[in-house]
Amino acid sequence: MTASTGDTSPPGSEYDLTQRADQEAYAARLMAQAQRRRWLQSVRVGLVWIFLFAILWFLFSFLNLDFGYIFQNANFVLLGIGVTIGVSLASILIASIIAFFGALGRLSANTLFHGVASFYVSLFRGTPLLVQIFIIYLGLPQIGQQIAARGYSWLGNLLILTAIQSGILALSLNYGAYMTEIFRAGIQSVNRGQWQAASALGLSHLQTLRLIVLPQALKLIIPAVGNQFIAMQKDSSLVSVMGVWEITYRANRFARKDSKYMEMFLLAAAIYWVLTIFSEWGLARLEGRMARSDGR
Amino acid sequence: MHTSRKVMAGLFMLLMVAGCAAPAAPGSEAAAPAAPAGETASGEVAAADLLADVQARGKLIVSTDPAYPPQSELVANVEAPADTVCSGEERPANQFSGFDIDAAAEIAKRLGVEVCFVTPDWTLITAGGWAGRWDLSIGSMTITPERMEKLYFTQPYYTTPAAFFVHQDNTTFTQPADLSGRKVGGCSGCTYEAYIDGTLEIPGETIEFVVTDAEFAGYDTDVPALEDLALGDGVRLDAVLTALPTGQGYIADGGPLKQLGEPVYFEYLAGAIDKASTLDTTSFQAAVNEAIQAMHADGTLAKLSEQYYGTDLASAGAEFDLAALNQ
Repeated sequence: MTASTGDTSPPGSEYDLTQRADQEAYAARLMAQAQRRRWLQSVRVGLVWIFLFAILWFLFSFLNLDFGYIFQNANFVLLGIGVTIGVSLASILIASIIAFFGALGRLSANTLFHGVASFYVSLFRGTPLLVQIFIIYLGLPQIGQQIAARGYSWLGNLLILTAIQSGILALSLNYGAYMTEIFRAGIQSVNRGQWQAASALGLSHLQTLRLIVLPQALKLIIPAVGNQFIAMQKDSSLVSVMGVWEITYRANRFARKDSKYMEMFLLAAAIYWVLTIFSEWGLARLEGRMARSDGR
Repeated sequence: MHTSRKVMAGLFMLLMVAGCAAPAAPGSEAAAPAAPAGETASGEVAAADLLADVQARGKLIVSTDPAYPPQSELVANVEAPADTVCSGEERPANQFSGFDIDAAAEIAKRLGVEVCFVTPDWTLITAGGWAGRWDLSIGSMTITPERMEKLYFTQPYYTTPAAFFVHQDNTTFTQPADLSGRKVGGCSGCTYEAYIDGTLEIPGETIEFVVTDAEFAGYDTDVPALEDLALGDGVRLDAVLTALPTGQGYIADGGPLKQLGEPVYFEYLAGAIDKASTLDTTSFQAAVNEAIQAMHADGTLAKLSEQYYGTDLASAGAEFDLAALNQ
């Protein structure tokens, strides 16, 4: 409020805006005001969070939670964090590689390349992740055994994956399909003029992609991929059906032991929440870095 | 498989000898029976036998879903023994406890190897096509015709009566037949669903379907169904059909339920072996069956049953005629 009125007429005659020293002092005051407003804003948002958290806490108090039980057994569930993060990181990495080539395929004039990419996206985006996990874990080995029986045992044995490998493959393929569209949109967001200009300068198609288009597209792609990574951390819980001891499996199976379902599920939820808060924080820093070139 | 009958008989004889030798000299000599098989033919043939494979690697990999106390449950915060041969996704026996776990460990011991557990979802265990990821299921699995298409069953190591449970506040139901037309919950894909549908067949048993036209509500496993029933009489469910020990265990933990009448049928619970295995399982089946019968004969299983269920559910399993399954 003060800032907008201050633009035209500074309050009182404290500042003589024809004087350089006063201009600087006035500018400093405005900036201090803005900073204070931002600070106050975050305090208010923080208060809203605390209020909502209190409501949540109040609601959970109806559940008769056994907090001693949670603290005693948290260690067992926390041991699953490594697997959850490991599976998610490996999957997002492989999915990014798949998505990059998928996007090139979707944008390609080559009929075969384009057809393969669009078929892949349609198939893996159009079927549930859990079903994909079951098919990869159960179905691939059967195909592998048939191939091995025909004399190519090295190729057949390659298809017999462990539970963790199956999980990473399913997550990578599924997220790769969604991320193909993210990569495609990112590449398409770069103005066609850039391609034409690069072509006029004598750059090849690949050079243009690598030196001109991708650096610009990545600024759009990376925040979206980070978003996918946060979703992935939670979807990685689906690999628990194959008996991978990640957070959800440990919480779920442990809960059955003493019928402490709410305790263990809330613990798992809290762990995922904290994990994603860390990821969000890391992501915000990364985005800040990517946006550096936008600032003047 | 028919052609291998003679081979099976021969290997069985060999195993009888090996079986006698193994308990007397466990450890280093346990792998000895595998050696002659390796010498008689090329290395490939020796590796093609599951029993030889198990003994060569010194571990029996068993699937278990630790979601079913007191059959199989997790033990938290226990370090794996330093000398375990279990690796990767396999877990040693001390990470679990339960009747299935102890029975599996005993079978492995009698085969002269260590037991290692993997924990795939129950659906994946019953689906068959294990791709050699594990050798044997010791998961209190009921013998059903559908499962026999995918799996070979071992001699039953115990039995489970299936019984209805209702909320303790209920006064209108006095016998299972009163549940006709009501909403019954249970583990979906288990025998309870087939019983409610009136399609359950248990080889070697005549089943009387006393409950008709009931609506079945399927759950992942039995406990969530019991939890839903515990919310109140008729709130989400009128009754749950589950294993007697499961229901009784839930009540013992303070669940507000009661058993309704006598058990409606008995399940024979056996180990299972993958039919789609690329290795020859005949000698392995024979060895596991022999171990289980020996555990019946010397009272090991009856004692375990007393320990976990407070009653002998095991002995009836010894009388089951496995040959009648024609598998």
